[in-house]
Amino acid sequence: MLDFLARVTIFCFAASYAVALSLELWHLVRPRPITRYVAIGFGAAGALAHLVYVAVQPLPLAAPAGSLLLLALILSIFYVYGSIHHHRVAWGLFVLPVVLGLVVLAVLCREAPGQSDLASLWTVFDPERFWGVAHFVLVLLAGVGISVGFVASVMYFVQTHRLKAKLPPSPGMKMLSLERIEAMNRRAVLWAFPLLTAGLAVGMILLFQKYSWAQSLQSPKILSTIGLWLVFAVLLYMRYAAHVRGKQAAIWTIVAFVFLILAMASPVHPFAGGGP
Amino acid sequence: MKLLLVGCNYKTAPIELREKLAFDGAKLTAALRELETRYGCEAVILSTCNRVELYLARAHDQPLPDHGVIAEFLSETHQVPVDRLVGDAARAACAVETATAAAQGVSPTYALHNVDVIRHLFRVVASLDSLIVGEGQIAGQVKRAYEQAHAQATAGPILHALFQHANIVAKRVRTETGISRGHVSVSSVAVDYVRQVFDHFDDKTVLVIGAGKMGELTLKHLRDLKPRRILVTNRSPEKASAVAAGCDGQAMPWEELDDALVEADIVLSTTGAPEPIMPRRRFNGILARRENRTMVILDIAVPRDFDPRIHDGDRACLFNIDDLQRIREQTLHERHKHIAPAEAIIEQEVTRFHKDWMRRRHGKFIAQLTQEFEARRKAVVEGLMADLNGAVGPEDRAKIEYAFRKLQNQFLHGPISALADDAPEPGRHTLLEALRKMFRLEE
Repeated sequence: MLDFLARVTIFCFAASYAVALSLELWHLVRPRPITRYVAIGFGAAGALAHLVYVAVQPLPLAAPAGSLLLLALILSIFYVYGSIHHHRVAWGLFVLPVVLGLVVLAVLCREAPGQSDLASLWTVFDPERFWGVAHFVLVLLAGVGISVGFVASVMYFVQTHRLKAKLPPSPGMKMLSLERIEAMNRRAVLWAFPLLTAGLAVGMILLFQKYSWAQSLQSPKILSTIGLWLVFAVLLYMRYAAHVRGKQAAIWTIVAFVFLILAMASPVHPFAGGGP
Repeated sequence: MKLLLVGCNYKTAPIELREKLAFDGAKLTAALRELETRYGCEAVILSTCNRVELYLARAHDQPLPDHGVIAEFLSETHQVPVDRLVGDAARAACAVETATAAAQGVSPTYALHNVDVIRHLFRVVASLDSLIVGEGQIAGQVKRAYEQAHAQATAGPILHALFQHANIVAKRVRTETGISRGHVSVSSVAVDYVRQVFDHFDDKTVLVIGAGKMGELTLKHLRDLKPRRILVTNRSPEKASAVAAGCDGQAMPWEELDDALVEADIVLSTTGAPEPIMPRRRFNGILARRENRTMVILDIAVPRDFDPRIHDGDRACLFNIDDLQRIREQTLHERHKHIAPAEAIIEQEVTRFHKDWMRRRHGKFIAQLTQEFEARRKAVVEGLMADLNGAVGPEDRAKIEYAFRKLQNQFLHGPISALADDAPEPGRHTLLEALRKMFRLEE
């Protein structure tokens, strides 16, 4: 059985996601409930294969490829959950490109097998690595929040475009209301910021035990993570102090997502070898 | 099965005549009973604002009353001269008996027979014959018409089967085509837009500006959303109070319009002002005080009340009467694309209903024919087995029996299928009679 599971490759779930996305695109042209159900089926199959791959393969999760694949997995589960609960809303059109993009980026960032000494998924239960694990989990969950905020921001732009053009609701591309999308963005950001702050604080403490400020600031990963935190701080200030909403908040969320991708895809800092 | 439909609709009769021919509760009950007792037939009456149609059926071969007789019945029931219901030419020859002919102005009423009645009812229930193609009300009206006839026991087995099948047709057309997709009333389109912007309404404020008649239906739809409060303002405080009283709203002085716009989330503007009441510069001042909250403005006044340049699709979503009409036209245009697939479904269902009915009608004969052949086959096989006197083993016996059964089925397939497709005409020998004679089967 394990031998069979070990044969699941990135291609398996990437292809499932690609088929699900194609069906969602087809649903735009010819809206039929069956098309959406089949798309959800492919998306769910992809998420299952993805889960098997992450669980079975010795993935270095703190390395770019591992963390990107894990983030993509959580987003694919978010897609399946959202599609089942709001099956009329075109979730797939917005979430699946992000999932596929993260998978492609993970493939591009992948190290050759055996070259990494970073720990795989199962080392998260090792008590000696607790703080490293805590840092990783907090940043990853913040990453999920930022990604959901990014998806909501893209949805916001599409919906405002439709409203500006005064287009009627389309059966092939039913969307959440502008108010709901904005609330989704707001909640994602509010959820992600404390997690990101705590994750960064733990990371910094671990980092400064081994390296100086000057050494740490040479790492693109550290720089982009600090950039991400600053963008978030600005975003929250604008939203709650300056009452900035709508398009501007969406733009800042997209910028935060870009920083997140930069941080995740950057080469691993030496200290991460002690983490998961 | 004999079917007759006599009626008029918005294409063939003016509204004054349709109003006179309409059947309300008491009149409908009396008419259904009268049709049944006077003509001895099943009856269903469909009476809506766009059509009045009498569906009559008889299972036996006795003729149904003709167009002229039913026109006289309508004339008598509604006190309308019969000349107004059937044109002279139609009365003279009773030759003009189609909806098309009626639509051409020959007669305000039309009559259809048999399969044309089935097709017409299916088109009506699928909303292909409606004033607004794809509207959803007619299916419910047809269902109610049948239920009323059923309650009066005037809908017998034929109309029961026909109207039950009509329900299936309506559902099939609605789900398999996009004919009922989207909204086509201006007020529904307006609410669709509001729903694209807002998710919940229990914390929203609706502001009604003016007291135009145009806005009444839209305001009703907005009230159905259950907003937190409704504000009403008008140049005339009395009119504002009257509108506010009618919608459980709160009247506001016209001078406080800007403050009300700062508060409002949804604005319905219906003033009769000759010039825009809200130029862009004035509105920008209001927008600055709203802390970037989104606002939907439904400007259904003519001339328009709000400067169209304030629409940005984000903080201010402005829809005027032209936008709403345009969407309505687009939706109708989209629906028209689905007419051909809907007609194809109807043709399939007409054929299916007709075949099912004929099969049901000839069920007794088919059972008799099959039993007769079963008995003959068994006798022949038994005779053959006796002649062979045990020379055939059980396996070969089974093969022989199978071969004879197959031959019997193949032989009977032709007559049974032909019976299902048979449409007997009055006064002519039917295929059923021919088959009875051919196979010497007694009735």
